[in-house]
Amino acid sequence: MSTATVALEHPGGFLAKSVRDQRRAATGWMIGIVAIALLYASLFPSIKASSADLQSYIDKLPDALKNVLGTDYASPAGYLRGEIFSSMGVILLLIYAIGAGARAIAGEEEARSLDLLLSTPLRRSQVLRDKALATVAIAVALGAALFVVLAILGPVFQLHVAVGNLAAACLMLASLACAFGAIALAVGATTGRRVWAIAVAAGIAVVTYILNAVAPTVSALEPLRPLSPFRWYLEPDPLVTGFHPANAAVLLGIAAVGYAIAFVGFTRRDLAA
Amino acid sequence: MRRDAPILAEALTKSYGTTRGVVDLSFEVHAGEVFGYLGPNGAGKSTTIRTMLDFLRPTAGRIAVFGLDPRADGPAIRSRVGYVPGELGLYERLTGAEYLQDFAEFRGGLPRERIDGYAERLKLDLATRIHELSHGNKRKVALIQAFMHEPDLLVLDEPTQGLDPLGQQEFYAMIAEARARGGTVFLSSHVMPEVERICDRVAILREGRLITVDDIGDLKAKALRTIEFHFAEEVPAERFSTLPSVVTATALGDTVRLTVRGELDEVVKQAAAHTVVDVTTREPTLEDIFLNLYEDGGAS
Repeated sequence: MSTATVALEHPGGFLAKSVRDQRRAATGWMIGIVAIALLYASLFPSIKASSADLQSYIDKLPDALKNVLGTDYASPAGYLRGEIFSSMGVILLLIYAIGAGARAIAGEEEARSLDLLLSTPLRRSQVLRDKALATVAIAVALGAALFVVLAILGPVFQLHVAVGNLAAACLMLASLACAFGAIALAVGATTGRRVWAIAVAAGIAVVTYILNAVAPTVSALEPLRPLSPFRWYLEPDPLVTGFHPANAAVLLGIAAVGYAIAFVGFTRRDLAA
Repeated sequence: MRRDAPILAEALTKSYGTTRGVVDLSFEVHAGEVFGYLGPNGAGKSTTIRTMLDFLRPTAGRIAVFGLDPRADGPAIRSRVGYVPGELGLYERLTGAEYLQDFAEFRGGLPRERIDGYAERLKLDLATRIHELSHGNKRKVALIQAFMHEPDLLVLDEPTQGLDPLGQQEFYAMIAEARARGGTVFLSSHVMPEVERICDRVAILREGRLITVDDIGDLKAKALRTIEFHFAEEVPAERFSTLPSVVTATALGDTVRLTVRGELDEVVKQAAAHTVVDVTTREPTLEDIFLNLYEDGGAS
């Protein structure tokens, strides 16, 4: 009975396990983000040298692409925005966060491992919370890795961006990942279907990315632009203008709503057999 | 009824969309007994179990575990319960030792020797990754997980599936020990000899409804048994068919075959009026009883 009492008061060890479960995957993503940062950083000097050619190429791009990627590839901030913060970096972080959010509950449920987990004194709410926290921690770690690589090695390749602005952009990227991870978590925790969670979150990401890209040039869509998380993520550009708490609050607000939906959906429903 | 009975179901009903759940189940599992929960696949055994652990919420009625509500007091209940699910899902990338240590931690920590002791008894290699284990060995991991904190109540859903005979013997020994400690066991199964061997009472479930809850001994006493007399001469079946305990009587030459419910005494006395060459009978097995109940649709 003493064991039972201890377990009841401190059903511990779950956050640690949640992080540990993701450690292997997280290491892979970490290597990926560092590799991409290094690759693009190292290409900058040659891009900059041929900036006249590049500019004529960019001028021919569709307006929608210019809206997102930016048009100033010759400047360090413009280059980082185009190659990392509005493209590869986003893709990497979102794939990680959506995958982790979908796996957290729905993945375990489909693998039937959730039954045994929840037969212990752990509460559903604790399992949800710790898995979400582990995902946030890893998203922040990926953003931090990107920051460290670009802040330390960027100047080596003539990529001079104010450190504060770089930090703001990495923080916003991690926040964006949290928002989409929470959407996947909400769908997965409510339905128990991992594929649905991935499809809905990735679908919303693609649609709102495009919306944000085309809205400035399609007047009918302009009023809808605030619905896109990418609008808050990149406008105004943190690489140029620094941190905007209100914009970060929008992204974290999406994450909070997603988490709240996941909480209500998961704690009230029957689990799949 | 004691308020803190290990399990108390009162008009428990769970229905969902296309799958039939359970309907109006009422039964009590007493402290210290091994309670068998029988029925074919799809009868509602797992559904009942999953309401005890708060995986499913009842549509109507209630189920209480140690007098507590699974939804409101889940952690308090589950800290006293060990569970083996019918469909196993383990963390396949972990070794048995890692898996069990994690689960020990979720339960507030346990001495490592306890885990090692069970692994040794079940001949399970804890250093192997779970995805490399056979089906039976995976089941051993789940069994250790359920037994290692010496819970007051074991809820076991078809726990011996895939276990080798030696593993089964060790499992029966572990059940006996749990019971000797004062623990209660709720065992769902469709393996009749196993249930007959280890259970005190059984509940039989058919299409989501309980058709009987009884002592195994009483069930047997009430069950139909077949007895066959081989006489030295022809004996008409009517000699027996008038006896109240005889359900059917057929004569074929000098052989009379009877199905009897309850005491055999008057049948034997009647037969003794003739010259008996041979008599064969067999104690009804739980399987016979089960099949009979199913044929009757629970009318008996």
